[in-house]
Amino acid sequence: MRFKALGETLLKGGVAPRYVRRYLAELSEHLQDLTAEQRAKGHDAEDAAIRARARLGNDAELAEAMLSHKQFRCWAARAPIAVFCLLPPAVTMLAAFAVMMPLVLCARFAGLSGHGGIDARQWFRTLVMITLAFGNFFLAPALALSFVWIARRQRLPEPWPLLAVALIVLVDLQFQAHFPALGHRGGEVGIGAGMWLFHLHDLLETWHLAVTQLFLTLVPALWLLQRKFVSR
Amino acid sequence: MAIESPALLAGVPELMILRLLNVQEMYGYEIVQAISSKTGGVVTPGEGVVYPLLHALEKDGALKSRRKTVNGRSRVYYTLTARGSKKLASLTGDWNALNTAVQKVLHAV
Repeated sequence: MRFKALGETLLKGGVAPRYVRRYLAELSEHLQDLTAEQRAKGHDAEDAAIRARARLGNDAELAEAMLSHKQFRCWAARAPIAVFCLLPPAVTMLAAFAVMMPLVLCARFAGLSGHGGIDARQWFRTLVMITLAFGNFFLAPALALSFVWIARRQRLPEPWPLLAVALIVLVDLQFQAHFPALGHRGGEVGIGAGMWLFHLHDLLETWHLAVTQLFLTLVPALWLLQRKFVSR
Repeated sequence: MAIESPALLAGVPELMILRLLNVQEMYGYEIVQAISSKTGGVVTPGEGVVYPLLHALEKDGALKSRRKTVNGRSRVYYTLTARGSKKLASLTGDWNALNTAVQKVLHAV
């Protein structure tokens, strides 16, 4: 791939991937024009390619030109503490509420909630179970994967995404629901979150859920570590 | 004769790019060749380093770009925006004032 080393330098320098892709694409097109110009002057293909590349500029000059513009730097490189320390718990909590909101709206607009608690019909219980499965087994792992992906594409050091995954694990999001037998009103759907040590009792009750969720959330981090040690 | 002191050229490529794009839309290679040819080779921006400048101007809202295929070649073409026109007017004013001031000093000594 053309300009691969330049691309790596720019990503490691904190330039956002979309600007790197665009810069490299336009450089490739410019190089084609320069090569065609040299060919038109009568140089053979090999000579024309060498002359065109020399006119385009060396990798250090091309990198410096881009790195000197601070506005092309991505947030993950500009403020890694905000992105990998503050954002993971905040996004996890917001995502949890976003997942629960459709259930609340469904219960309200379908007229299920009222005096004496919720009238949880079969379709609503199925919807709750699907939401719970999504929340418990997909949400935290997907968020962990997102932070690992952000760090990987920006070539950031591994401790940043590992810290983000650790914080998501610490938030320890758990979706739970309890309903009485069909036809009876009542029951509850809730999100549990908090530091593991502070609700050890609850954790012991739902250990199978916690272990599965922990494993799935840690998969992206384990993949990252495996890549690091295999590449050594 | 190309100018060898980069400090003298600070802001000049930006002004020239805006001026050229005020007339017609152009792509990167075309812009570099136009600057080089219109200045008789006195100002020759680095071929590849023109893109960060174009991207920065676009990010500031002075330019807009679109990908267009002409004669089977797909390239990114740049045009001036209303904001770019204002920037061009402002930079031209600054440049004329600076040029007049420098000329006075040069002819006074």
